[in-house]
Amino acid sequence: MKRKKTLIIAITHMALVALSVMFILPLLWMLSTSLKPIEETMRNPPVWIPSVIKWGNFPDAIRYGERELGYIPFLVYARNTFLLAILTVTGSVLSNALVGYSFARLKWPGRDFFFAVTLATMMIPFPVIMVPVFALFKQLGWVGTFRPLWVPAFFGSAFFIFLLRQFFRTIPMELSEAAKLDGCSEFRIFSDIIVPLAKPALATVALFTFMGTWNDFMGPLIYLVDQNTFTLALGLQAYQSQHGGTQWNLLMAASIVVIAPVIVVFFFAQKTFIQGIATSGGK
Amino acid sequence: MKSPRTHFRKVESINGYLFALPYIFGFLALTAYPVLYSFYLSFTNYSVLKSPQWVGIENYRELFTDDVFHTAIKNTFIYMLTAVPLGTVMAILLALLLNTKVRGMAFYRTLFFIPSLVPLIATAMLWMWVFNGEYGLLNDGLRRIGVTAPNWMGDPAWAKWTLVIMAVWGTGNAMVIYLAGLQDIPQNLYEAADLDGASPWKKTKAVTLPMLSPVIMFNGIMGMIGGLQQFALPYVMFPGGAPARSTLFVSMYLFDNAFNNQRMGFASAIGWVMFIITLILTLTALKVSDKFVVYDRS
Amino acid sequence: MKIPSSTWSLLSVAVIAYAAVALERAADRQDQTDRITITYWEKWTGSEANEMRKIVDWYNQSQSKVRVKFLSTANVDNKTRLAASGGSPPDIAGLWEHNVSSFADANALVDLTPFATADGIKQSQYIDNYWQMFSYGGKLCALPTTPSSTSMHYNRKFMPATMQSPETAPKTLEELDALVDKISLKKKDGSIQLAGFLPGEPGWWSWGWGYLFGGKLYDEKTQKLTMNCPENIAALTWVKSYTDRFGQRETQSFQSSFGNFSSPQAAFFSNKVASVIQGVWLANYIHDFAREMDWYAAPIPHPASRPDLAGTNFLGCDVMIIPKGSKHPKEAWDFIKFVQRQDVMETICAAHGKNSPLTQVSDQFFQKHMNKEIRLFDRLAREKNAVRVAKIGMFPQIQTEFNNAVQVVNLGEKTPKEALNEAQARMEPLVEKYLRYMGLKQ
Repeated sequence: MKRKKTLIIAITHMALVALSVMFILPLLWMLSTSLKPIEETMRNPPVWIPSVIKWGNFPDAIRYGERELGYIPFLVYARNTFLLAILTVTGSVLSNALVGYSFARLKWPGRDFFFAVTLATMMIPFPVIMVPVFALFKQLGWVGTFRPLWVPAFFGSAFFIFLLRQFFRTIPMELSEAAKLDGCSEFRIFSDIIVPLAKPALATVALFTFMGTWNDFMGPLIYLVDQNTFTLALGLQAYQSQHGGTQWNLLMAASIVVIAPVIVVFFFAQKTFIQGIATSGGK
Repeated sequence: MKSPRTHFRKVESINGYLFALPYIFGFLALTAYPVLYSFYLSFTNYSVLKSPQWVGIENYRELFTDDVFHTAIKNTFIYMLTAVPLGTVMAILLALLLNTKVRGMAFYRTLFFIPSLVPLIATAMLWMWVFNGEYGLLNDGLRRIGVTAPNWMGDPAWAKWTLVIMAVWGTGNAMVIYLAGLQDIPQNLYEAADLDGASPWKKTKAVTLPMLSPVIMFNGIMGMIGGLQQFALPYVMFPGGAPARSTLFVSMYLFDNAFNNQRMGFASAIGWVMFIITLILTLTALKVSDKFVVYDRS
Repeated sequence: MKIPSSTWSLLSVAVIAYAAVALERAADRQDQTDRITITYWEKWTGSEANEMRKIVDWYNQSQSKVRVKFLSTANVDNKTRLAASGGSPPDIAGLWEHNVSSFADANALVDLTPFATADGIKQSQYIDNYWQMFSYGGKLCALPTTPSSTSMHYNRKFMPATMQSPETAPKTLEELDALVDKISLKKKDGSIQLAGFLPGEPGWWSWGWGYLFGGKLYDEKTQKLTMNCPENIAALTWVKSYTDRFGQRETQSFQSSFGNFSSPQAAFFSNKVASVIQGVWLANYIHDFAREMDWYAAPIPHPASRPDLAGTNFLGCDVMIIPKGSKHPKEAWDFIKFVQRQDVMETICAAHGKNSPLTQVSDQFFQKHMNKEIRLFDRLAREKNAVRVAKIGMFPQIQTEFNNAVQVVNLGEKTPKEALNEAQARMEPLVEKYLRYMGLKQ
């Protein structure tokens, strides 16, 4: 029995290492490019180890454009993105938890129909609704502000509603019924019983919303006009020139700086998932 | 006099509406209105700058006979039918591996997830290096082990597969959902299986996969929808669906028509055809999955 | 109602409120100035943007009424279109010449004629080929920032002794073909080492191959699409002859080994092709990435049977328009007018490494220009055979379709005739539809 277990662990390890190599190679290339002098970024055949390690690419990437603009655009973009993410994550977790709960655990006339419609909305190609939505925000006078990028988060999104509904449905109904018999209000059942049980799912929603905001390219591209309102994903474009004079090393260095906080967030979000085993496993 | 049962039901209905209120509002303003407007647009000529002009079903008629649209549909389906199953298998495999109690888990989990964090422009550029026919990292490797490798990005027969490979690489999103799903499976089920002396494979088959089935269904459908809407990467990597429209996907054709050709009406018609195809596929998937998806309704 | 931790909740609310307020402030930064502020969206994002920014600074310092706010905007045409449809366009949009007719067809730009008449800006001041890009349907729709013309560029070290100067460079396409056969080199395994010329490098003017043979894609006078005219078929047959000459697979691998255009690994800079069709700006890039290269430029060759086609080359021009809905068209015009001043125009054209769109060019411009062949490019810009985009808003779509036909032919999937007949059949009804929708045809 014990030997069998060791064998399984060994196989798991081997599989993980093999897959890791596949997954990590392009990332190593990214790292290697970010440390190269510009001449080596385009060399054929590819150079894996830079002739000189240029740590200076990182400060250069961050300060890119400072001279022309008089401020460090990267830091301004980072602040904008960070503030936006706070708002969208909050809005998204709040609204989707409420709505998902309603769809999963409350009965109301028209619910199933409305849920089917909600599912259907996920299949609508984004470019189709882009122009009407733009016109709407324009009428509200919101073009050029951040509002089109965060206010919608407070009104739920079909994807997360679906996700949370699936999770909420796996929680036994007896829990709610027992609480109801004890005289708990619906909101109390939601906030005190269901939400704690759904922590892993809510963490997933939070993480995805954060990533979505962090990497969103299209929204800022359409709605933000002034350079000092740009977000990081949009700002990265500055390294890529229209006719190909791209500063690959700086682009990669900046990309690494952009994804680093998300990696950190994910690293910590994992712990919530692990805690989730204890909560929902009820050992 | 009302029975307490009716009363409860009424309270529940009111609560139901109240809880769903944010989305009901958001749905009306940010989805229903734009969608209806685009439905109207699909029956018009509309250049964004000039006001719409009613043309009846002309746009749909054109789509019916448009070879390029048919190519785009074919490409999209080939992509979806390969990338989604392969991505799903990879994501479940990773999630199962990552759900064990091997040391260094936090590291592995983060590693497999990083690809879905890399910004789009950087991702596209990275993979263009990997797939370069002459000096690409992939062909460099293949040549070393004596395999004659294709010219991935220049050959119409291969270009699509680069996107499939990238989709499998970037499957971290789905992996996280599976992982969350796996961790929601009650431990006592495994303990019971252990008492029965079940092998790991048997436990996976008898406990894990059935318990994971709602998540698989969710991810499968989301993957399918995402696959049908594949846009940003091919748009950046293969402008115009080059070579010879072998990587032209429906969303790209839609975007090209809407914003490069200023045929917003025609683009809306493409969107609606896509929407209806997706709807039919999803409803079918939901019907079929009813047979094997297990919900805890006890 | 019990709140799990009231301090925690309060703190979260405070952070959220702070985020919302901070974002409102960031988006609402008012400029502390008495001047009228107008916005200018520029297409370039790299060093070209910085050169244009200097012109804007110059203008802002030259007067005290108007302040131009310069924004370097990627995908400027789509973004301007969306913003105009939403009613909040910039006051000036720096677009490409092929955008002009599409904005004009939709009546989405301000007619500059009255301004130009009042301020004495006349057609005769501009090289006519460029003026044709600005004027459309009897209106003046745009004015230039920097234009371009194109020529062959040869790397002297690969040229035979008889072709060491621009005067002796191939005059006809037949001579070019013979040169390519003579100087191209293959490796032992059949792969290409040096191509004398390769139509696909850089391939930016693939849509224009037909023009070299006297064809065209669209006839403005008859409003007819002419994608499958005999000249275009001849052109694609010629292009395909290069793929056949080097081998399809070999050409493909060879091309994928080329580095980025603006890098030392670009095909022309890294000794992979001996000659290339490129724009006036190339000298700029040679200076940056292949300073040692000994090169010269000469007009693009013409078919031997068509000496009347000598001087054919592709023109481009960056332009400024005032979108409809601009809040300060008068001030926007004032800036556009400033850029048209000969000294300002020559400054920006020189900085971008381009020729000038004006008929009057100072000697100093020629002497100080970083491109030693600048006089050739100035001459090419004035050629009667020079090619510009056709005046129809959907021309870019026609170009894309032609480019696709080139790909299909090069891959050997279809013959030039089949591919172009198909392209013609596909685009013809679309052109009709477009013209009717825009009210350009009954």
